[in-house]
Amino acid sequence: MQEEDLGSKQPFKFFECMNLLQPTGRQAQDLPQLLSLIGEAEPGVIFHHTHQYYLKAAIEIPEYTNDFAVWAAESLEERALAEKLASLDLYGCEDVEEVRNALIRIIKTYLRENPAPRAARNGDAFFFNDAVTIIMEAGPMAGNLPEFIEALRTVGASSIYFHFFEARMRLHGPADDFSVWLNQSLGREDLAQRIQRLDPYHYSLEGLRQQILSVL
Amino acid sequence: MEGLSAYSLIAEPEELRALTQLASRLEGRSFLHVNSTFTGGGVAEILNRLVALFRDLGIEARWEVMKGDKSFFDVTKKIHNALQGQEAKITTQMWEIHREANEANAKRISLDADLVFIHDPQPSAFVLHRKYGLWIWRCHVDVSHPYLPVWQELESYVSRHDGAIFSGAKFAQSLSIPQFVVPPSIDPLSEKNKDLSDQEICQELEAHQINQDKPILLQVSRFDRFKDPVGVTHAYRMVKKYHDCQLILAGGTATDDPEGEEVLARVGEAAEGDPDIHVLLLPPFSDRTINALQRSATVVLQKSTKEGFGLTVAEALWKGKPVIGGAVGGISLQIHHGVTGFLVHSIEGAAYRIRQLLHNPELGKKMGQMGREHVRRNFLITRQARDYLALWIALEHRGERVIAV
Repeated sequence: MQEEDLGSKQPFKFFECMNLLQPTGRQAQDLPQLLSLIGEAEPGVIFHHTHQYYLKAAIEIPEYTNDFAVWAAESLEERALAEKLASLDLYGCEDVEEVRNALIRIIKTYLRENPAPRAARNGDAFFFNDAVTIIMEAGPMAGNLPEFIEALRTVGASSIYFHFFEARMRLHGPADDFSVWLNQSLGREDLAQRIQRLDPYHYSLEGLRQQILSVL
Repeated sequence: MEGLSAYSLIAEPEELRALTQLASRLEGRSFLHVNSTFTGGGVAEILNRLVALFRDLGIEARWEVMKGDKSFFDVTKKIHNALQGQEAKITTQMWEIHREANEANAKRISLDADLVFIHDPQPSAFVLHRKYGLWIWRCHVDVSHPYLPVWQELESYVSRHDGAIFSGAKFAQSLSIPQFVVPPSIDPLSEKNKDLSDQEICQELEAHQINQDKPILLQVSRFDRFKDPVGVTHAYRMVKKYHDCQLILAGGTATDDPEGEEVLARVGEAAEGDPDIHVLLLPPFSDRTINALQRSATVVLQKSTKEGFGLTVAEALWKGKPVIGGAVGGISLQIHHGVTGFLVHSIEGAAYRIRQLLHNPELGKKMGQMGREHVRRNFLITRQARDYLALWIALEHRGERVIAV
């Protein structure tokens, strides 16, 4: 069924967001400490270190996009571990606890199968941070697909981040906000499914915006 | 101040939208900043611009400077150095000097405000006299490895605030109050950073008897031992064997830094006998001169051994210059090694990277372009103003992790 027949049940309201970084004061100097602190960290901390890259206004594309993988590669020089951490299927995890458990499983397996890595040098510890997210309305609401496409073209990149990553993983949405709305309000399950098949962790926010637009 | 619209061609539109929305929520509220110097160093410089920007946004911002005599600033310099890791004996009597000066100033200055930012250790004991509102301790110092006896004493004041702000995550401490990270910023429209014509640059250089017939290596910073100006002269001498270049060490001394003259004297000794080393002791408000020097430089250095942030790095990157900086503190937030400049760990490392850039001007040009974009996205005053207002709202919603404005 096409959305023109259904009409819009509920308009889509776009939000932009920003993060305020909150250090926890906790740091890991080696892999066993990292494992222990991942187990104890607040859910927001795990979310932050696996997703915050996307909100960074980076000028270069990093080798890995989660902080644990970057630290394993650069500070411990454990490239194989970094690859395993970077390959963690974040989009396949339903919530932060599943991400945490997956991280723990990867590190425990690595420690069991490999010689103990050296500690990071002084100053290169892993610093655990949390973040507060401030969300703000971003322009007009979309009541149908053309309005949605137009708004999606113009909202800030943080809006993509919020509706794709934050809403789903941190606010426990069933999927990203875009595909949920397209399915539930416009009846476009076909578009929703195609968006859910995107591999969002391998795009910049601008790249992801273009991918979604091309689906629509 | 040109108003927020003046930034619309420079800053990200999304950043300006957020700043406007946050400010509209806080319109008419009062925001007091207290520090210990009107001139010298990055704190005074950014406050000068931030307070004007907040007022422009409808917030009743105010900036007060505490006063102190030589004994007070001798003590606070020791505290400052200890926070950056230097072993220091601060006696009970010294802490008493600190507390009494704070008390006298707290009685003199109106502390009536909805939000009070206390900048650095000098006015940290103001908090004993707080009346109402939220109080934040804003730390601009590299406290990644503080000398613990002094930090622990200071912490008794810090923990009485409602929150603390550090310039980088690596400076965070184990505190009982919420901590935030807000990197400092530069104002692209200020006298120090706005565009200058070639003619304006030449005029400024001529006024200081500097010509551009040789590549210019430049370090702009207070004459402070942690900025390692003497180390820079050693690096320059290593380079000079291969490249006929000149070195400019330009800076002033801050009123709250009693060690400046001593360091300046040591720099003078290190530079003696070389006409290609220019040591410029600049008076306060030499922003246009610094702007011209940075724009005329081939390579900019900030070879600090400790650094809270190092605004001169962002200033130089904004002007499209490659920067060689000490791999410490906030410098590593600004220099992406091999992308916007080089991070170094030694005098030899600095010399090596200078030679690399002098040999390969295209590399320096590319780094400069990347550096300017990095600053535009991350270190403009509009981002810092936005972060401060967001933090204000976050503290009023303490415990909430996602806050709708």
